[in-house]
Amino acid sequence: MEGFTYLDIFATKGVEYLLVISVLLLFIPFWRMVSRPARAIYQATESIVPAISEWFHLPEEKLYYHQGHGWAMPESGNVVRVGMDDFAQKLVGKIDAIQFPQVGSRVTQGEKGWSLLAGSKSIDMLSPVDGEIIEINKSLLSSPESIGKDPYGQSWLMKVQAPKISANLKNLLSGGLARQWMEGVRESLLARMNYNLGAVSQDGGVLVDGIARNLDRERWDEIAREYFLIS
Amino acid sequence: MGMDRRTFLKGLGTGIAVAGPGSSLLPGRLEAKEVVASKEFMGVLVDTTRCIGCRSCELACAEAHALPVPDISDASALDKIRQTSVTQWTLVNRYQTEKGEVFAKKQCMHCNQPGCVAACLVKAMQKREDGAVTWDTNCMGCRYCMISCPFDIPKFEYDSAFPKIQKCSLCWERLQKGEKPTCVEACPAEALAFDSRRELIEEANRRIYKESGKYISHIYGEREVGGTGYLYISAVPFEQIGFRTDLGTTAYPELSKGFLYSVPIVLLLWPAFLIGVNTITKRKDEVQRREGGKK
Amino acid sequence: MNTVIAEEEKRELKDIVAFIRSELKPKGKLLTPFNLISAPIILLGVLLILYRLARGMGAVTNLSQEFPWGIWIGFDVMVGVAFAGGAYVLTFVVYILRSDKYHSIIRATVLNGLLAYVFYAGAIFLDLGRWWNITNPLWGNKFGVNSVLFLIAWHFLLYMLAEFVEFSPAIAEWLGLRKLRKILGSLTVGAVIVGIALSTLHQAGLGALFMMAKGKVHPLWYTEFIPVLFFVSSIFAGLSMVIFEGTISHRVFSDKISHEDHAAYDDMLIGLSQGCAVAMFVYFFAQFLILIHGWHWALLNTPMGYWYLTEMVGLVAIPCFMFFQGARYRNMLLIRTAAILAMIGIIVNRLNISIIAFKWWVPFSERYFPSWMEIVITLAIILTEIWVFRWIVNRMPVFGKPPAWAEETHQ
Repeated sequence: MEGFTYLDIFATKGVEYLLVISVLLLFIPFWRMVSRPARAIYQATESIVPAISEWFHLPEEKLYYHQGHGWAMPESGNVVRVGMDDFAQKLVGKIDAIQFPQVGSRVTQGEKGWSLLAGSKSIDMLSPVDGEIIEINKSLLSSPESIGKDPYGQSWLMKVQAPKISANLKNLLSGGLARQWMEGVRESLLARMNYNLGAVSQDGGVLVDGIARNLDRERWDEIAREYFLIS
Repeated sequence: MGMDRRTFLKGLGTGIAVAGPGSSLLPGRLEAKEVVASKEFMGVLVDTTRCIGCRSCELACAEAHALPVPDISDASALDKIRQTSVTQWTLVNRYQTEKGEVFAKKQCMHCNQPGCVAACLVKAMQKREDGAVTWDTNCMGCRYCMISCPFDIPKFEYDSAFPKIQKCSLCWERLQKGEKPTCVEACPAEALAFDSRRELIEEANRRIYKESGKYISHIYGEREVGGTGYLYISAVPFEQIGFRTDLGTTAYPELSKGFLYSVPIVLLLWPAFLIGVNTITKRKDEVQRREGGKK
Repeated sequence: MNTVIAEEEKRELKDIVAFIRSELKPKGKLLTPFNLISAPIILLGVLLILYRLARGMGAVTNLSQEFPWGIWIGFDVMVGVAFAGGAYVLTFVVYILRSDKYHSIIRATVLNGLLAYVFYAGAIFLDLGRWWNITNPLWGNKFGVNSVLFLIAWHFLLYMLAEFVEFSPAIAEWLGLRKLRKILGSLTVGAVIVGIALSTLHQAGLGALFMMAKGKVHPLWYTEFIPVLFFVSSIFAGLSMVIFEGTISHRVFSDKISHEDHAAYDDMLIGLSQGCAVAMFVYFFAQFLILIHGWHWALLNTPMGYWYLTEMVGLVAIPCFMFFQGARYRNMLLIRTAAILAMIGIIVNRLNISIIAFKWWVPFSERYFPSWMEIVITLAIILTEIWVFRWIVNRMPVFGKPPAWAEETHQ
């Protein structure tokens, strides 16, 4: 009967304290492991980051960048050579063809300059300068596989006669400003890629497919447009 | 609101008073001392050694409360152990024990601190000043009293569109007129005695001491679930005559006390804590970003 | 900008009424498989509810004097409310901790929580034998302040209001009421704080209901810590529901979700599963501690003990490990499976306490099993909730971005 025999209501306290201490000790590795990805995933990230970083490398030459990932290089007089940066090609992946406006037609800074055709999708890019197109890179038309091979050299896109060249160049980024901008792009892309590291595998699949397609297989073109400031 | 401040406060007062009387002997309830009610609880002592199983109490109860009248001449009703029901507030069961046949009456125990009263969210179930536990029609029919009763006494009319909770009321309407419960009056064998709970416990102890060996030395209901209005003495251990002996001596409302006491504390501390965290996390750049973009 | 607002204010009430009436019409196909299955069930459910009101509880339920609470309480209310716990956990993370990561799912979660309370807690109405007295605890003449159920009744009501306030900006955006949207938006953080405090208490309170069922609930489940266990388990119950519901919503309503959110979604799932893993880890060892505290290990080698171990190991420890691995290896399938297992674990736990381990000594033949009518009514309630959820999601900015003007008026 209660009250007639000795009942130790704290009989299990000692065991409980020991249990709590061991659970807390167990909780430390549990917490550390659950709050960071497993080693295999982690290494995949580590290996891919330097590879990705190359795409954001900007050449030291006197190039002016538009935030829609086109560049402009002043040549003689008012003639400007125009192209797209390495990132643009890596983002879209394999480009089947480029649709240029007619030679002699006009382009406007910040408005549609040319379109990339990839698979069934067409993605516009913005012109970095105002002016009249005087030449397009015909070698890209005859051999589309060379698109993006040498983005700042052989794979230039077109030459533009730009009357307001000095005003146009003031709207573009170069040197330290350009590198800062590209660093921002890199960070935003890496943050996104973290979500889908499984898809961004260690092999070169990314480079062929394009980053955008790895982020979202269905609507990758929307992502590309977002980076090209189209949408 | 159809209720003024005074009745509300009074209502709160009785709520606490219910918790008071039975626990005044328990240590550590100093805070309840001031709300002990003035009137003593009444109760019924059931001497199972005297009960002859005539079921007169069943008959009297049914007649007094307009319930279907049982045929007490039909002895076959005693063949199986019955539970009280919506049409039968009290009944007598026959048990085979180590000392032969024993009859035990069953009905609401009228706990000092009833679980059903603490459970009721509209105060339809009430502990009256004289000890009766009664039901009223402002009940919502949630049946939480049935969950909370250690003796499974409140019964619900499932088959009615306008159901009631049915249970023994200790003939509360008779008590108010100064009469005894009808079952006590009907008992021909003096197995039932009606008096104040204090007197009944003394009487029970007197019988246990006087006729040494006849009774086991235990008054069921003296301390069970904090004490009950109905008290039982028996010649055989109570397990053998259908009583639960594992219910403990804690009054049932005490079981949810810990939680209920924590409610005001949590309601005070938690929002203050949350506002604190909310303020700390309000960094300047966050605010600027919010202004710029997402809400 | 100002002229736009001024013009909008000129819009007459008539226009809004006309707009609502046009919105009330169904959008999209009516004869989908889901509609064809759910509509008859809902219709039957309504008929059964009328029958129950006319003939009493006994006509449709298998409830008895031994088992006064069935699945309408044990499943609809206890499980429904636990699953709705995601709303208070996520509002805590988004509005108190200000983690923007989960912002895109906060509206869907709050809406889900609100509807869960309206419908599942609303199921209490059916379970009340004397339902016409339902307002008694609110403005009746008698307040049973000493009842845990009194507390829960008030908390449900207040919490529904808080969740409504949290969701109301979406309604204002839908109706194009800019001024109102601004006012409602400013109330959000207050509603969140009140909502979290209320949730903490009534999630625990649902467990505290069974404190006075001592001696009726099997000792392996009955403990004075039930309220704490209910609170902790509501955290991962709610988060698991968010994972589960989100998985379905992202298929069904994929056109409403911007690609950005699709991409961010997996990362959100990983965050949620980390939360689940930690909450379940703590919950599992709390249960273990309570087992030792109660000296109950001898009971483990009984049929009820095996059932207890099934719940604790199979439906707590294993899904906990799956969440853990899923978060580490970014395995979405594993996370989703874990969420379903954890949800089954919650259903089993709540039903154990309210029905299965309740009066465990009663023989099988006399035990409570829900009647087909109780199940149909429960299904009808769930399906109606899904219909309402779908109706709202198809009209108000829940998954998608709010209109541009609302983005400018930040909170």
